Amino acid sequence: MRPPRTAAPHRRTFALRPSRTPSARLRRTGYLFTLPGLAFLALFLAYPLLYNAWTSVHDVGLSGLLGGATRFNGLANYRATVSDPDFWHAARLSVVFTVGSLLFQFTIGFALALLFARPFPLNGLLRSLLLVAWLLPPVVSGTLFRWMLDGESGAYNALLRAIGPDTLARDWLIDPGTSLAGVVFANVWVGVPFNMLLLLVGLHTIDPELHEAAAIDGAGAWQRFRWITLPLIRPVSVTVLLLGLVYTFKVFDLIFVMTGGGPVDATTVLSLYVYEVFFRFFRFGEGAAAGLLLLVVPLLAGIGYVRRLRREEREESAV
Amino acid sequence: MKPARRPWLLTATATLICAAFLLPVYWMLNTSLTEPDRILGESPRWIPAPATTENYSAALDDDALLQALFNSLVISSGVVALTLLFGVPLSYALARVRMRGSGTMVLALLVAQLPPSIVLAAPLFILERRAGIDDTYIGLIAADTTLTLPFAVIVLRPVLQGVPRDVEEAALVDGCGLMGVLLRIVLPLMVPGLVAVAGLSFLIGWGEFVFGLTLAQEPSVQPVTVLLNSFVGQHGTAWGALMATATLVCVPVVCVFAIFQRFIVGGLTAGSIKG
Repeated sequence: MRPPRTAAPHRRTFALRPSRTPSARLRRTGYLFTLPGLAFLALFLAYPLLYNAWTSVHDVGLSGLLGGATRFNGLANYRATVSDPDFWHAARLSVVFTVGSLLFQFTIGFALALLFARPFPLNGLLRSLLLVAWLLPPVVSGTLFRWMLDGESGAYNALLRAIGPDTLARDWLIDPGTSLAGVVFANVWVGVPFNMLLLLVGLHTIDPELHEAAAIDGAGAWQRFRWITLPLIRPVSVTVLLLGLVYTFKVFDLIFVMTGGGPVDATTVLSLYVYEVFFRFFRFGEGAAAGLLLLVVPLLAGIGYVRRLRREEREESAV
Repeated sequence: MKPARRPWLLTATATLICAAFLLPVYWMLNTSLTEPDRILGESPRWIPAPATTENYSAALDDDALLQALFNSLVISSGVVALTLLFGVPLSYALARVRMRGSGTMVLALLVAQLPPSIVLAAPLFILERRAGIDDTYIGLIAADTTLTLPFAVIVLRPVLQGVPRDVEEAALVDGCGLMGVLLRIVLPLMVPGLVAVAGLSFLIGWGEFVFGLTLAQEPSVQPVTVLLNSFVGQHGTAWGALMATATLVCVPVVCVFAIFQRFIVGGLTAGSIKG
């Protein structure tokens, strides 16, 4: 989508034509243009995050909320957080939730992308219908799945009773043994269309002549998939998985609406843990510390993503 | 790609998969149209016969829902306005003007998308309360815009880079300022990208929940997502009214998507024009 960097390097920007354009003034206007947006983000995004870091090393009780007494307490909040078994429980749940979601939404999304990459009547319409599911507010999806997975009258249980033994039907979200599977199931449903969409774009970039040539050489469908599609889709796949990791690790609303973190703590992933510590128990310092720890995984994934982008740009400019 | 051998077989397969996939959405509509005392039964009813609007009138009877829908409309519109107001000049400067630090700015905008909402909601809760803008539309719009603005620039910058710049340069040489070029020449060319960004910002603002939950205690500003969640807790088994409410929350989403879909294709095409 982006034009290759080498397309016309000598006129990438106005300022590079100093003979005819007043570049200094332009640059000043340019900075002026970035000012409102960056100032806004500094005020409502960067400053709160820095403030969060400050909070994480202070003892901020309810009195501190309105600017009352606060006390520097070093790493006490972090120590309290990492020695809280609930924190590690939440971290484990986050890992299971994320890995489970990524695994299924990627595999199903990939299968659907392979299907929709082929031309057939109504392709566009059916694809759009799938996308609608992705665009629904998470609170709506959560409500839907609460109803679908309801023990007594849920539609999924009715289907399970119809196709299998009665023991298959259960109170998915109320049973601590299955509630995590229930929220993963719902989250996979939410994530599949997005995975499909990105992978479909990736599949379309594969030159069809490669497949044709391989077919002429006698390669079967599986061989072509294994030796052409898979290697060529790999870069897109890694991007999709990295983005999925960032999104999935921070899921809050879907789980909050479906189970509220329960039963007991069976679905309290890290984002819900932070919410509880901060907004329910008003342990602001510890909540801030836990929040910063929650940032680590998306940050690592983000670094990976940016490095990939950089490399792609370099490769693009080398063409 | 060469045409499939049996295209209708593929259509049938895809239709079946879509039907299975969209079952929850169908079930929402089905339940919302079923008479309340027939919803909880031994075997679920697959078709709402006889259909009733009772659940909808029950849901809409509640003034709180109308208020919350109105709040969400105000908040989402505010998010769209703020996102475009800040996002357009920002992405224009980043796409066109050679500035020191633009690389860092783009990187910062990418990183800005990483923090989980709850991590941002926690300090915002304290800071907005101190500033006295918790429980206000402004407070919610600002919080939601932290989600949409970085994203808008990431989408708009390539679109802008795709707009041919000869006309702009000519206008600049003729003494037109950067603002003039942006307003008179670039803006009309990037309408599809703008509509795509506006549509997605609206959807993000409409569906946002974490900031609504934490920054709005007053029902007078609470978005409809927060209301829906509290319904789930209160009327745990009144599934008819609940599904009617959920359907009403979806109506703007589907409407916006219908418009947005046409433009995203245009936006992508505009972005792929070589500069």
